[in-house]
Amino acid sequence: METDVGRHPLRRALDRMYLLCGFFAAFCLIAILTIVTMQMIARWTGEILPGTSDYAGYFMASSTFFAFAYALNNGSHIRVNMLLNAMGGKRRWGELWCFAVASALSIFWAYHAIKAVYWSYRLGDISQGLDATPIWIPQLAMAAGSVVFSISLVDNLVRVVLFGTHSAYSREIEGN
Amino acid sequence: MEHIYLVMIFLFVLFMLLGTGVWVGLALFGVAFVGLELFTTRPAGDAMITTIWTSSSSWTLTALPLFIWMGEILFRTRLSEDMFKGISPWMSSLPGGLVHTNIVGCTVFAAVSGSSAATLTTVGKMSIPELRSRGYPEYMIIGTLTGAATLGLMIPPSLTLIVYGVTINESITKLFMAGILPGLVLAGMFMAYVALWSFVRRSEVPDIGRETPLLDKIRNSRFLIPVLLLVAVVIGSMYLGYATATEAAAFGVLGSLALAAGQGSLNRRTFVDSLLGATRTSAMIALILGGAAALSLSMGFTGLPKALAEWIDELGLSPFSLLLALMVFYIILGCFLDGISSVVLTMAIVETMVRQAGIDVIWFGIFIVVVVEMAQITPPIGFNLFVMQGMTGHEMGYIAKTALPMFGIMVLMVFILIFFPELATYLPENIRSR
Repeated sequence: METDVGRHPLRRALDRMYLLCGFFAAFCLIAILTIVTMQMIARWTGEILPGTSDYAGYFMASSTFFAFAYALNNGSHIRVNMLLNAMGGKRRWGELWCFAVASALSIFWAYHAIKAVYWSYRLGDISQGLDATPIWIPQLAMAAGSVVFSISLVDNLVRVVLFGTHSAYSREIEGN
Repeated sequence: MEHIYLVMIFLFVLFMLLGTGVWVGLALFGVAFVGLELFTTRPAGDAMITTIWTSSSSWTLTALPLFIWMGEILFRTRLSEDMFKGISPWMSSLPGGLVHTNIVGCTVFAAVSGSSAATLTTVGKMSIPELRSRGYPEYMIIGTLTGAATLGLMIPPSLTLIVYGVTINESITKLFMAGILPGLVLAGMFMAYVALWSFVRRSEVPDIGRETPLLDKIRNSRFLIPVLLLVAVVIGSMYLGYATATEAAAFGVLGSLALAAGQGSLNRRTFVDSLLGATRTSAMIALILGGAAALSLSMGFTGLPKALAEWIDELGLSPFSLLLALMVFYIILGCFLDGISSVVLTMAIVETMVRQAGIDVIWFGIFIVVVVEMAQITPPIGFNLFVMQGMTGHEMGYIAKTALPMFGIMVLMVFILIFFPELATYLPENIRSR
């Protein structure tokens, strides 16, 4: 898997960014656990913490979007491999197609995510829940995560074009 | 269905993107875009992002990463050894002997983990070498384990059921409760099959010697008691209405951390590994769910679900034949797609039809889990077959053949569910609320 670019500063920077995003996503899971636990304790002691479930939801979204790129480079995202496997030596072309389509879709996704944050900010949208959070703040995580995800897909696309390899091979089967 | 050509283009894009290997979540997102562009004039991107944001920041969804994390923590403990040591002495006197350890082990681990791959690995790590060394035939060891590991999908907590519940907006707690009895019945049928085997092929059953005294049995299973307690608290708190699914999951995570700490297998590395593992898996599922949320928005505009429901209605199919048709459909679909993807993909179309046919959607969740379970052990894409291949080095074809009886038992289970729907509906209807 190690090619010449393996030690390139840009390669290192990108990989470090994906990992960092992964760690941030993991931190969000801890935040969810903390919020839910606090909420339970508060209820048992007869108190009410308003809006906590909304916050848990925001952390859920943050964790999700920030982990997309990290999960991609660990081969966690699911796809139908049958045709790709059947292509044998021509697999590179199949991968090229997949990364090209996925890059285009994710850029479209990220563009609209940014746009959503911009409009929430401009219109001053407030969450409809009890938390009354300005909605652009948690949405910022969606936009940032989506951008990193499209960077990682383009990054892999470029590697397929130049070197015929990428880092999104599925290594283990998770979640089933 | 006036836009028949548009519908055909829409479906073509769907199969093309999925079939050529585009990641499932992104493929669904792409199809959703095509659908919105074909059938509406509204700005597709903005509508899709709004839907994705709403679905991915929902409170219900937070149960997903927490339950995954719980399983990941326990997966990294000594549970595998403890389970074999604790369960096997109780099984040795049953007809069929220690093969039952596979099934009971899977049932117990299924109750702390929502994944059948993790169930298979945890139970198999100990039981495969142990059973081999005692001379049990290979095909029984492999077959029962491959089959019984699918219980991970049905017995709560189940990732497939969370995904199903989130997709159609039904209570996760109810779905979890619905899975308990069918899961136990299925486990019981697997055990009956092992017993039957021991009578029919008596010569294959090795003699494993003397009975362990009762006191030793209890002493051997003392490590299992905390795990069983954790299961009881997690599931019990939901049933008795003390906790929502998310809260029960949070409790499960804290409990597993305590359990791992008590065993001495909790350190910085296992903690970080389990957390990152949970992060990845939940991101993988969330990507699919995000794409599916956009797809179901788009699907509504195509008119496909409604047309299909009306068509089924006109055909005058009885619910029974409709369910059989769906079973065949899911088994075929399962040859190409994993369980979670096939659930979210089809529910965008099938939900209207099922509701219109008057089928209880909670019950249908369990039905779908059984048929998706079958897909786990059928080639060419059966996740349990892959995992088993990785563990034992046997060929996929051989593993699938050994698991064939289990496949038959699951088909039988579908009929039992159809004829005794109470199996799935009794517990959810009797959940306490407070």
